[in-house]
Amino acid sequence: MSVQELLSRFHTAAANPGAQLKQYLAAGEKVVLTAPVYTPEELIHAMGLVPMGAWGADLPLEESKKYFPAFICSIMQSVLELGMRGAYEGVSALVVPSLCDSLKCLGQNWKYAVPSIPFVPMTYPQNRWGQVGEDFTRAGYERVIADLERITGQTLDTKRLVDSIRVYNRHNAAMRRVDEVLANHPEITAAQRSDIFKSAFFVKKEEHTTWVEELISVLEGTAPDMGGHKVMTSGILCDSPALLEIFDSLGLQIVADDVAAESRQYRTDCAEMSDPLAALCDKFTRMDCCSVLYDPDKKRPASIVAQAKARNAKGVVVVLTKFCDPEEFDYPFLKRACDAAGLPVALVEVDRQMNNFAQARTALETFREILS
Amino acid sequence: MAEEVKKKTHTPPDPNSAKYKLGKIAADAYKDAIAAKARGEKVAWVSSNFPVEIPETMGIATVYPENQAAGIAARGAGTRMYEEAEADGYSNDICAYARISLAYAKLKSCPEQDVAMPDVLLCCNNICNCMIKWYENLAQDLNIPIIMLDIPFNPDNEVSDAQVAYVKGQFLAAIQQLEEITGKRWSDERFQEVMNNSCRTSRAWLAATAMARYTPSPFNGFDLLNHMAVMVTARGKPEAADAMETLLKEYQENHETGKSTFRAEEKYRIMFEGIACWPWLRVTSTGLKSRGINMVTTIYADAFGFDYDSFDNMIRAYCKVPNAINLETSRDKRVKLCKDNHVEGLLVHTNRSCKLWSGFMPEMSRQIGKECGIPVISFDGDQADPRNFSEAQYDTRVQGLTEIMDLQKEGDLA
Repeated sequence: MSVQELLSRFHTAAANPGAQLKQYLAAGEKVVLTAPVYTPEELIHAMGLVPMGAWGADLPLEESKKYFPAFICSIMQSVLELGMRGAYEGVSALVVPSLCDSLKCLGQNWKYAVPSIPFVPMTYPQNRWGQVGEDFTRAGYERVIADLERITGQTLDTKRLVDSIRVYNRHNAAMRRVDEVLANHPEITAAQRSDIFKSAFFVKKEEHTTWVEELISVLEGTAPDMGGHKVMTSGILCDSPALLEIFDSLGLQIVADDVAAESRQYRTDCAEMSDPLAALCDKFTRMDCCSVLYDPDKKRPASIVAQAKARNAKGVVVVLTKFCDPEEFDYPFLKRACDAAGLPVALVEVDRQMNNFAQARTALETFREILS
Repeated sequence: MAEEVKKKTHTPPDPNSAKYKLGKIAADAYKDAIAAKARGEKVAWVSSNFPVEIPETMGIATVYPENQAAGIAARGAGTRMYEEAEADGYSNDICAYARISLAYAKLKSCPEQDVAMPDVLLCCNNICNCMIKWYENLAQDLNIPIIMLDIPFNPDNEVSDAQVAYVKGQFLAAIQQLEEITGKRWSDERFQEVMNNSCRTSRAWLAATAMARYTPSPFNGFDLLNHMAVMVTARGKPEAADAMETLLKEYQENHETGKSTFRAEEKYRIMFEGIACWPWLRVTSTGLKSRGINMVTTIYADAFGFDYDSFDNMIRAYCKVPNAINLETSRDKRVKLCKDNHVEGLLVHTNRSCKLWSGFMPEMSRQIGKECGIPVISFDGDQADPRNFSEAQYDTRVQGLTEIMDLQKEGDLA
C-alpha cells in the first residue's frame, strides 16, 4: 500500500466511528465505550469486549442541554448528546473515569439521559502513589470488572489480561514511534496525523497496531521532507477538521503533541508482572504530566518545553477546550515555562459546537509570522 | 440638644447573642492566624471540607481561602482581583474563588480581607477537583508544600471499605507530613476533645437549622449563609459549640414567642440551592423578602452535620459531603430537607463558578420537584464574579416562582 492509501484507511476509520460500531455489533462483538481521559482498556479487551473511545463529536448540542448547563465542557456534552440521539445504541456499557468534575457529572446525567446503556464508574485515586493509592486503584478496577461481568456476561481471565497488556504495550510503542517518524515528514498533514491518533479509539488495537507499523515501515523508507513551521500542540483534543485545515493551510507542522486524545494516551506502558492487575495499577501510579492527574510538583509545563525542544518545535499551540478547568488552570504555568524557554505560545480556544474559526485562523496566522 | 438626643444611637451587640459569638469566632480566626504568623508559627491555608480535626488537634493556625474569597467578593473587591488573575492568563471561566485566591497569593494584599500568608496548604477535593488545580498552583506560586487529601466522588450510595481505607491511609500520612513541616505533635487525647467539639457543634447546627420545620420559621435562611463560616472553619472549637448551642436556644425562643429573624410576613417557604451570590447578596435576599419568601433551608443545613462516633465514621462523614455523593443520595438529602421544612418551591442558583454543583443540577432538581410536588426555578449567577448575574433575570425568575407557588396554594395546580 502507498502512504496515501494507508492514510486513507486511518481517515475512513477516524471519520466513521458509527460505521465501525455497526460492523462490530453485526459481527456479534460486544462493545464498551470508554470516556476521556484514561480508562483501563486492557481489562475491557481482556474480557473479550471491544473498547471504543467516546470523546464526543463536533455537532450542535440540543438534547444534552436538558442536562448540562452551557458552561460545562462540550466534549462531555457531546458524548451525552450522541447517547441521547441514539448514536451508541447497541453498545453494552459506558465506562467513565472520575478524573475531572465534568466527567463526574457526565456519569450522573448519563444514568437518566441514556438509560439503555449502563454507566460504569471508574474511580481513580489522585494520590496514586504508595500502597493506599495502588489498593484503591485496584478496587476501582475490580469494580469495573464486576460491573462488566454482570452487564455482559463475559469474564476476566488472568492469562488473557497478560496477553491484552502485551497488545496494548505494542500499540503504545507503535504510536510513540509513528509520532517520532511523522516529525520528519511534513508532507503528512495535520489532518492526516490526527486521523492516525483518532482512529486508534475506534479500531481494535491489534489491527490498529498493524496499520501503524505498516505506515512506519513505508515512511521510514521514504526520504524525510523539508518545510513547514515545526510546532507542538497541547490540549485535550485537536481533531476538528476546520482547525486542522488552518494548520495545514498555514504550513504549521505538528512535530509533537501533549494532547490528551493523542500522545498522552501512549506514554506509559504496563510492566510485565506475575499479577497483571497489579501491573495495571502500577501503570496508573507512573502516569504523569497530565492536567487531570494530580501534579504536586507541576512537572507538566517543563515536560512540554522539553518535548518541544527535543523535536525542534519553534512554538507551542495550546488548543484549549473551553470550560476545561484542568487545562485552564495549567495554562498560565505552561505559558510561563514556554516564555522562559523562548518558545512562542498561541492560545486557541475550541469547543465541539464551534463553526466559526476566523479567530483561530487570525491567532495562528499571527503565530506563524512570529515563527518566521 | 433635643435633636441630638433624638439621633439614632448605635446599640452595641449583645455579647451573649449567637450573632455576636459567631461573628467573633469568624473574625478571630483571621486575627489568630495573623498573630500566629507574627509569633513565627506555621500557618495553613485549608480548603473548606478538609477535616478540621487535623489542624485543630495539632494547634495549627488556619485560613480558609474560600471564606476569604467570599468576603472579598461580598465587599465588592472581586473584580479587582479577577483582573489580576486574568492578566496572568487565567480564564474567566475558572472558579471565581480560585481566581481571587490566586490573585491574592500574588499581591499578598487585599484590604477587603487580608489574611496571614501560608507555610503549608491543606487541600481536599471532596467538594470538587477544581480544588486540586487551585492548590497545585498556589503551592507553585508560593513555593510551599501541599498536602492533598483525595476524597473521590462516590458514584455509589454507600461509602465502600476501600474508600475508607484509602482516605484513612492518606489521613495518617497527612498527620505525619504536618508534624514534619510544623514541628507540632499529634495527640490522641486532644483529637478526642476536638472530635467531641466537632460533633457537639454539628449537632447544635443540625438542630438549629431543623427549627425551620416550624411555620413560620424562627429564622431567615440567609442567616445560615453567614453562620456557615463558623461551621467551615471552627467546628472543632468549644466556643463554636457554645455559639451554635446559643443559636439553637435563640431559635427555640423565637419559635416559642412567635418571633423570627425573617423580618417580614412569611408567605412562602423555599429551599435555595447553591452557593450564595456574594456580590449580590442584598439583591438576592431583598428579591425574596420583598415578596414574603423565606428561604428556610439549604443543603448547608445538612452539609456540616459531622456527627460521628468513631475514627472510621469520621472518615465516612467526610466522604459524604454534598459534592462528593451521587445524584440519588444528593437528591434524597434535599427531598428530606424540603419535606421536613414544608418547602413550597425550589430556587436553584446555576452557579457558573461551580461546575460540579451545577453539572447535574437540572436533572436532580427536576427529580426533587417531582418528588416533593413543588415548582423549580433556576437563575444564572456566580458565587463571586458579579459579571455573571443579571438582576432583571433574577427578579423575573423569582416572580415566576412566586406566581406558581400562589397557584399551588390556590389549588390550581394540585
